Amino acid sequence: MTPAVDASPLSGLLTVPRPEGWEALRTAAEARLTGQELPDTSLEDWKYLDLAALRDLAFRPAVAALPALASADVQPYVHPEMMASRQVFVNGFHAPHASCATGLPPGVRFFPISAASEACRLLGTLGEGAPDLFEDLNTARFTEGAVLLVPQNVRVEVPLHLLFLNRPAGDGALPTVLPRVLVALDRGAELELVEEHHGEGAYLSCPVVEIRVAEGAILRHERIQRESPEAFHFGALKAEVARGGQYHSRTLSFGGRLSRQRPRVRLAEGAEATLDGLALLGGQQVADTHSFLHHAEPHGTSRQLHKCVVDGQARAVFDGQIRVAPGAQVTDAQQQSRNLLLSEKARVDTKPQLEIYADDVKCSHGAAVGQLDPDELFYLQSRGLDPEDARNLLTYGFAADLLARIPVASLRRSLRHLVLARTQAASLGDLA
Amino acid sequence: MLSIKNLTASINGTPVLKGIDLEIKAGEIHAIMGPNGSGKSTLGKVLVGHPSYEVTGGEVTFDGKNLFDLEPDVRARAGLFMGFQHPIEVPGVSNAAFLRLAYNKKAEAEGRDELDPLEFDDFIREKIKLVSMKEEFLDRSLNEGFSGGEKKRNEILQMAVLEPKLAILDELDSGLDIDALRVLGDAVNRLMRPERALLVITHFPRILETIRPQFVHVLSGGRILKSAGPELAVELEERGYDWVLEEAAAGGSR
Ligand SMILES: Nc1ncnc2c1ncn2[C@@H]1O[C@H](COP(=O)(O)OP(=O)(O)O)[C@@H](O)[C@H]1O
Ligand SMILES: [Mg+2]
Repeated sequence: MTPAVDASPLSGLLTVPRPEGWEALRTAAEARLTGQELPDTSLEDWKYLDLAALRDLAFRPAVAALPALASADVQPYVHPEMMASRQVFVNGFHAPHASCATGLPPGVRFFPISAASEACRLLGTLGEGAPDLFEDLNTARFTEGAVLLVPQNVRVEVPLHLLFLNRPAGDGALPTVLPRVLVALDRGAELELVEEHHGEGAYLSCPVVEIRVAEGAILRHERIQRESPEAFHFGALKAEVARGGQYHSRTLSFGGRLSRQRPRVRLAEGAEATLDGLALLGGQQVADTHSFLHHAEPHGTSRQLHKCVVDGQARAVFDGQIRVAPGAQVTDAQQQSRNLLLSEKARVDTKPQLEIYADDVKCSHGAAVGQLDPDELFYLQSRGLDPEDARNLLTYGFAADLLARIPVASLRRSLRHLVLARTQAASLGDLA
Repeated sequence: MLSIKNLTASINGTPVLKGIDLEIKAGEIHAIMGPNGSGKSTLGKVLVGHPSYEVTGGEVTFDGKNLFDLEPDVRARAGLFMGFQHPIEVPGVSNAAFLRLAYNKKAEAEGRDELDPLEFDDFIREKIKLVSMKEEFLDRSLNEGFSGGEKKRNEILQMAVLEPKLAILDELDSGLDIDALRVLGDAVNRLMRPERALLVITHFPRILETIRPQFVHVLSGGRILKSAGPELAVELEERGYDWVLEEAAAGGSR
């Protein structure tokens, strides 16, 4: 242990014994962490995300909830469509009594990662680019999470639910949960996965999700970040999509005092990806998305729509990098960053980055930061809505637009209610 | 019901309406016709209070009240409606939810009972039959991705839901095929009552074969050049607009 690590908030995590398994991965991550401090805003990647609030807090591994959550505590988070296809984790620990995976087709495996052996060789091999400090922390010290394996040509009809409930006790330190998730779809498999993070209190959550979509497989992935308002969330997602595969994800960020989403997707020949996002922020929240979409081979298609609705003194950051590798001809990539500022002090920093090294490509990107469209406001007013109702309805619509295609009805509905409440549109009645 | 006296209006400082006089009484159907760019849409949008236009002179009363004292939403709840030439798309807001909200705001203003989602469901099912709209359009976002014709259908659906006293319909037939035009024209006729009135704005006389006006006005260059009975529409169909403009020019130079 070097002095630098000792002095940093990380030491509380790194001094606990190294968990079993994935020895080589953990050693490498620890080596990278040695001597590291929390990044500050002088670094380009962290320019807009000031981690000062974390600097004086000592990170400690979260302990299991005691007493364990009763099923009544978990019930509000369970969706009827995913009753028998869910794995639930509380404070990062698997909650077997709250989980149920009996509704899955034969061959589909969905189980806690603590029950996986190192035979899960895929772990730590997916995705590209250097991990950041929070991902390395996860790799060095994760103890739990989920593995989801779908065999060749199996189309799973029921959606699967991965639920992370965080309400760890602090005891002066910052409890830290490090969920690790591995999802592998074999050739031609098809699956819908809902990943949700909910919480209460102050804690740090650093999930790492690794995904492999084999040839011709299709994964639809809803990612919902509803951490507590005092929580910190730094999430990494690393996906590899093989030839002709599809990965469609939607990341919805509502919670967290400081949060970052860091999705990185690599597309092979003819693969398709959707990487949509929404951040709905108020108060003093800061939410940041740093995405990287890599068209590594020809004939890939990607769509990215990122929306931020920012109220109060909140701040949203979008850094969307798209890389079209040399030789990745006939790539079709479209990126849109659309942002709505609801108050004078709200702020958005959006930075699309297209790096194109092939010549026969169709790439477009656009960024807009602004207020509501006066023509839309007038249209609603002309139908009898007063200006305030019209504004609230449009704000709701701007955000809710991203919810329309969520395939799980009860989830879609509950998120619409959340957005209604957060956009002052609840007074308009039940629009969900 | 609506009385317009010497109305002038401009957009971005450019005068578009240059002195309009028009009286519309309950039970009447008026048509405003004229070449493109003559100010027809402007007239409608000024009446419903579009913020891009500046009223520079004249008076308009609606049911005895000074129209320009009322905010656009108040005008709407008082029974003024415009079916737009180019309806706006509003992503994320379901058509059904929007229609129910608009209905309930008006009901509230009139002291009638509001409808809960279930009651509204029955109500709207009847209304979509009137305009032959498929149910799936209720669940879609308001006008989003609708074709030109579907948007027009949705405008008339909104009219059917709000049952305005005075409906201004701007170029209802653009984007509609002949069958759809007949369906929507019939729907508008069925919504007509002795205590209501219609102002149909159209470049093409075709729609006036279904919605039959008693009064036809030709608007050009921001002025009403000629007003007559329905026979004028027939004449415009046969002869176009040029002769009216020439006649007016000759009259003006006299
Ligand atoms: N936003 C605008 N800015 C400037 N001029 C406009 C604008 N909208 C309309 N106009 C002008 O006002 C005139 C009348 O337009 P409009 O009322 O749309 O005509 P119509 O509906 O009869 O075709 C036209 O000359 C048009 O160019
Ligand atoms: Mg027009």
